[in-house]
Amino acid sequence: MSSTASNIVTSPARQNRVTLRKTVVSCLALAIALLLSIVLMSLIGSEQLPARASLCALASFGTASCGLTRDQFDILFQIRLPRILLAAAVGGSLATAGAAYQALLRNPLAEPYLLGISNGAAVGTMIALVFFGASEWTRPFLAFTGALLATLAVYRLARGRAGATPERLILAGVIVTTFLSSVIVFVTTLMDATRIRSFTFWLLGDLSGTSKALLPVAITIAIVGTLALTLNARSLNLLMLGERDAFDLGVEVGRVRVVVFVVASLLVGSSVAASGSVGYVGLVVPHLARLSLGSDNRISIPAAALGGALFVIVADTVARTIIAPRELPVGAITALIGAPLFIYLLKRA
Amino acid sequence: MFRLLLSHFEIKKLSWLALVILLAACASYQTPSTQNLREITDDAGRRVSLPARVDRVISLAPNLTEIVFAVGGGNRLVGRTSYCDYPPEAKAVAEIGDTLHPSLERIIALRPQVVLISTASQLEVFTQQLQNQNIAVFVTDPHDLDGVFRSIEQIGDILGQKEQAALVVQKLRDRTNAVEQAVKQQQPVRVFYQLSAEPLYTAGHDAFVTDLIRRAGAISVTADVPGAWPKYSNESALAAKPEAIILPTGGSMGTGNSTVTEALRKSPAALANRVYKINDDHLVRPGPRAVDGLEEMASALHPDAFKK
Repeated sequence: MSSTASNIVTSPARQNRVTLRKTVVSCLALAIALLLSIVLMSLIGSEQLPARASLCALASFGTASCGLTRDQFDILFQIRLPRILLAAAVGGSLATAGAAYQALLRNPLAEPYLLGISNGAAVGTMIALVFFGASEWTRPFLAFTGALLATLAVYRLARGRAGATPERLILAGVIVTTFLSSVIVFVTTLMDATRIRSFTFWLLGDLSGTSKALLPVAITIAIVGTLALTLNARSLNLLMLGERDAFDLGVEVGRVRVVVFVVASLLVGSSVAASGSVGYVGLVVPHLARLSLGSDNRISIPAAALGGALFVIVADTVARTIIAPRELPVGAITALIGAPLFIYLLKRA
Repeated sequence: MFRLLLSHFEIKKLSWLALVILLAACASYQTPSTQNLREITDDAGRRVSLPARVDRVISLAPNLTEIVFAVGGGNRLVGRTSYCDYPPEAKAVAEIGDTLHPSLERIIALRPQVVLISTASQLEVFTQQLQNQNIAVFVTDPHDLDGVFRSIEQIGDILGQKEQAALVVQKLRDRTNAVEQAVKQQQPVRVFYQLSAEPLYTAGHDAFVTDLIRRAGAISVTADVPGAWPKYSNESALAAKPEAIILPTGGSMGTGNSTVTEALRKSPAALANRVYKINDDHLVRPGPRAVDGLEEMASALHPDAFKK
C-alpha cells in the first residue's frame, strides 16, 4: 500500500503526463462513441423514420426538415432526441456518483441504488409531487435533499468502532433502502388512485416522461458534477489508500468528503427527479471503466460519466422498442444487466 | 427411517388418528351440500355453488357495488371497498379496505354468503381462504359492454333479482342501441384514450372501454395493443394522429388527468381542440353507468348526430 503511495508522490510529473494523455485519448474515444450512439439510437424507435432524412435533419441541428413530415420531425426532435439526451444525463450522473462513492468509501459495491440514496431522492421527489405538485422546480431540490440525508444516514450507520467495512456499508444500505421503501409505500397512500400505477412504473426508472423544464437542469448538473468530481480525483486517489494515509499526504479529507457527498447527491437527486430510480448504472459502469482503464480516478471518473451515458442510452433504446408500441421501464433493463454483474463482483471481492 | 423413530404400535395408532381426521374433514366438507345449493358459472369459468337465497353479499369493486344496487340488492350488501362511492346509499355500508388490500378478517366477520370480485387474477390465496370459510367467491371480468350486461344478469341471478336485472339490462340495451343508431351514418373518429399522461397509459385490446369507444362511433387507435391498460410509446401515440383525445377525469380519481400529454400537444386532435374530458367513473367502471359514458363520448365526438 505505502509503496504505491510513494510511487504517486515521488514521480508526480511523469505520472501526470501519462495520465493526462491517457485521459484525453480514452475520453475522446468515449465521447465519439457517445455522439455516435445518440445519432444511431435516434434512428430507432417504435415508429419507423426514414434514416437518411433523419440523419440529414440531425446534422442540421433541426433547422432543416430534409423531407421529413411534420409528425416525423416532431417525433425525432420533440420526443426521441430529448429522451435520449435525458438518458445520457441520467446515465452520466449515476455512473459518476457511483465512481465517486466507490473511491471515497473504498468499497467496490458502493452504488446510489444499492446504498438507498436513490430511494432517498425518490422520497424527496414524491413529497414534492404530493405537496407541491404544480411546481417542477421543487422536485430536483427535494430529491437532492433526500439523497443527501440518505447518504449521511448510510455513512453514519456504516461507521462502526472498527471503521466502515464493505459488508457493514452494504448492510447499512439495505436498512436505509427498506426503511425508505416503506416510506414510499406510505406516501403513495396519500396519492390519488390514478397516480399509483404511474408511480410504480416511475420507481423502476422510466425516461418516457421527459420534462422540457428538467432536461437542461439534468444535463447541466451532470456536466458540472462530473467536472467537480474529476477535479477532486487526485485526492480521491490518495483517499483510496485510507483516510489516515491520505491525511498524512496532505489531503483535506473532511472537505473532500463533503464535496463528494454534496455533488453526488446533486447528481443522484437530479436524475431520480427526472427518471425515477434507474438501478445498477453506478455499479456496472465504473467497474467496467476501472477494468479497462485502470483505477486512477482522474481517468475512471470522466470515463464512467461518458460510459454511463452510453449505457443508459442503449438500455433505454431496448426498453422503448423491445415490445413496441408498449414500453418497459429502463430500470428493468439496467437491473437485468447489473444484478448478475453485482453477484459476480461480490464473489470476486 | 420412520420405523426407527416410531414403534409399530405407534404407527398403527397414528394411522387410525389420520383416518379419523380425514373422515372428520370429509364430514365438515359435506355440510354445505346438505343446504339447498345451486350453481352459477362465473367469468373465470368456475362453477360457483351458492345458497338458494343470498342475504349477505360483499362487493370488492365499485362497479360491482353499483350493479348490486341497480338490480335492487343494495339492502343485502353488507360490505364494500373504500372506492365504492356510488350510489350515495353505498357509503352507509361497512368498509372492508380497498380493492387490492381487503381485510380478510373483516370480510369473515361480516359473515357474507358471497363475495363478488372483479378480476380472476385478484387474490388466488384469498379466494381459497374464503372458500374454506364456506364463503362463495364469484368472479366477474367483462371485456366489453355485453360482458357488463352479463355481469348485471349474473349478479341479479345471485341475488334472486333476475327480473329486475333483466329490466335494467333491457333499458341499458335500448339506450345503447339509440346511441349506435345515431352515430351509424357518421364517419368514425380516430380516438386516443389517455388513461394517464406521465407516463403515458392507454386502453388496449382487453379494456372494455375500447368496445365502448367503438360503439360511440369511433375507433381507438390503440384497439389492437395487447393487454388492458398498456404503457404506451409517446412517439407511437403522435404517429397514430388521433383526431380526438378522451381524458377520463374529474370523477373519483380526481382531476390529475385533465391535460393532454406533452407528446400529443401537436396532434390533429389537440390542434382542432377535440379533447374531451369524460367522468372517469363512467369509463373505467364496467357497471350500469358505462352507458352514461357511452352517451357522453358519442355526443362529444358526434355533436351533429345528437342535435335535437
